[in-house]
Amino acid sequence: MEPVVNWMILGIVGFPALAVSLLGLRAWVYHPWSERTTVAIVGLGFTASATACAITTAWLLAADVTEVRVPLGSWFSAGHYSFDWNLIADHLSIPFAMFSAVLLGLVAAFSRRYLHREPGFARFYLLLAIFGAAVEFVVLAGSLDLVFLGWELVGLTSALLIAFFHERRGPVEHGLRAFVTYRLCDVGLLAAGVALHFMVGTSEVGPAGDGPWAGFAVPSTWAGATIVGLLLLWASMGKAAQLPLSGWLPRAMEGPTPSSAVFYGALSIHLGPYLLLRAESILQASGLAAGAVIAVGALTAVHATFVGRTQTDIKSALAYASMTQVGLIYVEIGLGFRYLALAHIVGHAAIRTLQILRSPSLLHDHHHLEQAMGRQLPRTGGHLERLVPSSLQPWLYRVALERGGFDAVLQDRMLAPFLRFISRIDRLDRAWVDYLTKPNAAQERRRLHDEALP
Amino acid sequence: MTLVFTALQLVLLVPASWFVGRASSARTARRRASYAMALAGMIALAQVAWHLFELPWLEWPADWLAMEDPHSWVPAFSLITCLMGFTAIALSPISETRPRTFRRILLLISVALLFLAVRQPIGLAVLWSASALITWLELKDLRQPPRIAKLFAIYHLPSAVAFGLGAMLLIQDHAAAGLVLLLVGVGIREAVIPLHSWFPPFVQYAPMGLVVAFFAPQLGVYAHLELLRGELPQQLAHIVAALGAVTAVVAAALGLAQTNAKRALAFLVMSQTGLVAFGLDTSSPVAQIGALLTWQVIGVATTGFAMTLAALEARRGNLSLRAPAGSFTRTPRMAVAFLFMGFASVGLPLTLGFVAEDLLVQGSVEEFPVLAFALIIATALNGVSVMRAFFMLFSGSAEHIGERDLTRREAGALTVVMATLLATGLFPARTVRELERVTQAQEQTVGAGSASPGAAGRLPQTEKGPRPKTRSLNSW
Repeated sequence: MEPVVNWMILGIVGFPALAVSLLGLRAWVYHPWSERTTVAIVGLGFTASATACAITTAWLLAADVTEVRVPLGSWFSAGHYSFDWNLIADHLSIPFAMFSAVLLGLVAAFSRRYLHREPGFARFYLLLAIFGAAVEFVVLAGSLDLVFLGWELVGLTSALLIAFFHERRGPVEHGLRAFVTYRLCDVGLLAAGVALHFMVGTSEVGPAGDGPWAGFAVPSTWAGATIVGLLLLWASMGKAAQLPLSGWLPRAMEGPTPSSAVFYGALSIHLGPYLLLRAESILQASGLAAGAVIAVGALTAVHATFVGRTQTDIKSALAYASMTQVGLIYVEIGLGFRYLALAHIVGHAAIRTLQILRSPSLLHDHHHLEQAMGRQLPRTGGHLERLVPSSLQPWLYRVALERGGFDAVLQDRMLAPFLRFISRIDRLDRAWVDYLTKPNAAQERRRLHDEALP
Repeated sequence: MTLVFTALQLVLLVPASWFVGRASSARTARRRASYAMALAGMIALAQVAWHLFELPWLEWPADWLAMEDPHSWVPAFSLITCLMGFTAIALSPISETRPRTFRRILLLISVALLFLAVRQPIGLAVLWSASALITWLELKDLRQPPRIAKLFAIYHLPSAVAFGLGAMLLIQDHAAAGLVLLLVGVGIREAVIPLHSWFPPFVQYAPMGLVVAFFAPQLGVYAHLELLRGELPQQLAHIVAALGAVTAVVAAALGLAQTNAKRALAFLVMSQTGLVAFGLDTSSPVAQIGALLTWQVIGVATTGFAMTLAALEARRGNLSLRAPAGSFTRTPRMAVAFLFMGFASVGLPLTLGFVAEDLLVQGSVEEFPVLAFALIIATALNGVSVMRAFFMLFSGSAEHIGERDLTRREAGALTVVMATLLATGLFPARTVRELERVTQAQEQTVGAGSASPGAAGRLPQTEKGPRPKTRSLNSW
C-alpha cells in the first residue's frame, strides 16, 4: 500500500501542476481553452489533489502511522551540497494540504460564474492553478529549500492577481507594493535555509521528536537557533501581513474577490503561521525568537482590531479581521499551543473565505437579515469602546484611521530616503559620463546653476 | 575537435557576414543572418553531442587551442553563444538594426566562438581588442547620441591596452603586474563598479542586438577562467570577490531608481555580472559552479529579456518607467515572455536561474557570510526591478497605440529560449555534474601545480597540455 500512498502524496502537488502545464501551454500558443474546459481542468486538478489527500489521510489513520516521507531524489548536487526533493505527509501537512485543495476547488467552481466573460478569465485560472500547486508544495515540502521554491511562486501569483484589473493604476501599484514586501521577506527565508545548511548541514525536516510532528533540525547553539528563528519570523511576516509590514493587505483586496478570499482569507496569509509551526522546535529552542513571535502577533492583533473598526468598506474590514486572527495565531504558536494554532488556522480560513466570498452581497444579506428580524441590525463591537476611556477615544480613532502611521513611517522614513540616496548616486554617475564626453559639461552645469540662483 | 567545429562555424559565419552586410534591406539581412546563426547553432549542437557521447578526439598537439580537453566547457558555451546570437538576430528590430549592424553582430559572435577555442594569452588579447573595435565602429556610425562612441572608446581603449599588456607580461614571467592589468581590462569589460559608467549609456543607446553580441558572451568571464583562475593570491581574490558582490548589490539598488527601461536593464545585467565575478573568485567549487551557471543564465535568459525589451521599444518608442503604459491586452504574449525572461534572469523557481542563485549562495556562505547575505538582497532587489518594469510597461492604463503582439518569428525565437530555460531548470543535474567535473579537474591540476616547488598558482595544465610559458607568483 505504501507505494500507492507515495504516489498519492506526489499527486497532491502533481495534479495542480498538471493543470498549470495544460493551461499554460495552450495559452502560449494563443488558443486558450473555453471557459468551461478551463474550469474543468482546474477543478479536476484540485479535486484529484483533495482525493489524494483523503486517501493519504485514510491510510495514515488506518495504518496508525504518524508520517510518510517521499524521497524523490536529488534535483541537483555539487560537492557537499545537494538539493533533494522530499515530500512529507504528517499531522501538520496533511490537514493543511487537504483544506487547501478543497478550498481551491470550491473557489475555482465559484469563480466560474463570478468571472464569466471577464477578459482575464483564463489568466485568473492559470494563476490560481500555479498558486494551488505552489501552496501544496510549501505545505508538503520536506526541506526549507523546497519551501522557498513554492514560497516564491505564491508571492508572484499573489502580486499578479492583486493587479488582475490591470488597466487601472491602483491595483497595479498595490500589486507592486505587495510584491516588494514579499520579496524583502523572502530574503529571510533564503537566508534561514542557508544558515541551517551552514550550522546543521541540512535544511531538511528532521525526525519527529517529542512533538506531534517533525520540525526543521535545530542548531546546536542558542545564538544559532535565535538567528534562524528570527529569520524565519521575518520571512513569515510578509505573507502573514504582520506589523510593521501589514500595509499591503487591505490594498491587496483590489484583486478579484475569489482570489482575495483564497489568498488573504485562507491560504496565503496562513503560510506564515504554517512555516512557524514547522519551525516550532527552533523557536522554542531559542526562547527569544518565540518571544518575538508572541510580541509581533500581539501587537498586530491589537493594531488590526482597532484599525479594522474604522474601515468603511467591507473588504478592508475583513482584511484587518484576518490580520487580527493571524496575530492571535502567532501568539498561540509563540506560547507553544500547536494544536490550538492548527485548529485556529483551519477554522479561521474556512469562515474568512466564506465572508470574503459573500462580501459583494453584503447589502443584500443585510436587507435579508433586517427583514427577518423586523428591525435594524444591532451594532456590534461596543465592548471595546467601554474599555477605552472616552478622553482617549478621539485620538485613538484618528490613529486607527491613519493605520497607526506605520505605512507613513515606512514610506517617508525608510523607502523615500533610500530611493533619494540611490537617485543621487545615479545622478553622480550621469554627471561623470557627461564630464567624460562633453568638453564643456562642467561650465554648462555651472551656468545652469547660476541662472537658477536669484 | 573544438578547432574543427569552431573552424566550421567560422567558415560559415564570416563569409555569411559579408553577404548579410550587402543585403538590400535590413529585413533581408536579418533573414540571412538568422539562417547563418541557426546553422552555426546546429554545428555547436553536433559538438555537444560529440562531447556527450565521447566520440574519438583528434590527436592534435597544439597547446594553444582548447581542443583536446575532455572536460571542456567549450561545447556547452559554444552552443549558448550560438543561441544568444540567434536570439539577438531574430529579435533585432529592423528600425534600429541596419544590414551593416547585422554583419557586425555575426562578426562579434564569430569572435566570441573563436575566443572560446583559443587559450594563448596573446591570441585572446587580439580577439578581445577585435570585439571592442567592431563594436566601436558600429557606435561611430550611430547618429544619436554622437558621444556614445567616445565614451565607449574612453573605457575600452584602456581595457584593450591593459588586457594586451597583461597578456604579454604574463607570458614574460611578470605575473603580478600582468594579473593586475588583466583584472583591470576584464573589470572594465564586465562593468564592475567603479569601472562601469560606459555600460548604462551603451545599453540605452546602442542597437540591442549589438549590445547582446558584445556583452552577453561574457568574454571577460572566459578570460578570467583561462588566465586568472587559480592564479590570484587569496587576498586579491577576496578583493575581487568583494567588488563583485558590491557591484551586484549597488547595481541592483540603482536599477530601482531608473526611469528608463533599458537603463534599468543595464543595471540588472551589471548586478548579474557582479554575481559571476563574486562566485568565480571564491574558493568554493559549489559557488564557482553557481557562477558558471549564472554566466549561462545571462547568455540565455537575460539575452531573451533584453531582446524582448528591444522588440517592445521598436513598437512603442522610448520606454519610460515614470508612468504606467498599459497594453497588456494588446500584447499578452510579449508581456508573458517579458515577465518569464525577467524572472528567469533573477532566479525564478524551476528555471536555471534559481539553480545558479542557490548554488552561488550556498557555496559562498562559509567563506563570505556577509557577502552571501548581500547576494540574497541583490537578487531580491533585482526581482523588484523586473516586476516594476513589467507593471509599468504592460499595465496601469487602458490606453494603447495599437501595437501588435509578438510576430511568429519573435514568438518562435522566444519559445526556443523559454524551452531551454525550463528544460535546463527542471533537469539541471547533468549540467551541474559536467561543470563540477570541470572544476574538480581544474582544482586537481591547480593543486598539483601548487605542490611542485616554484610553480604555485600555475594554470590547469594536465588536460590541455603545457602552457606556452610557466609562470609563477613568487613575485607576489
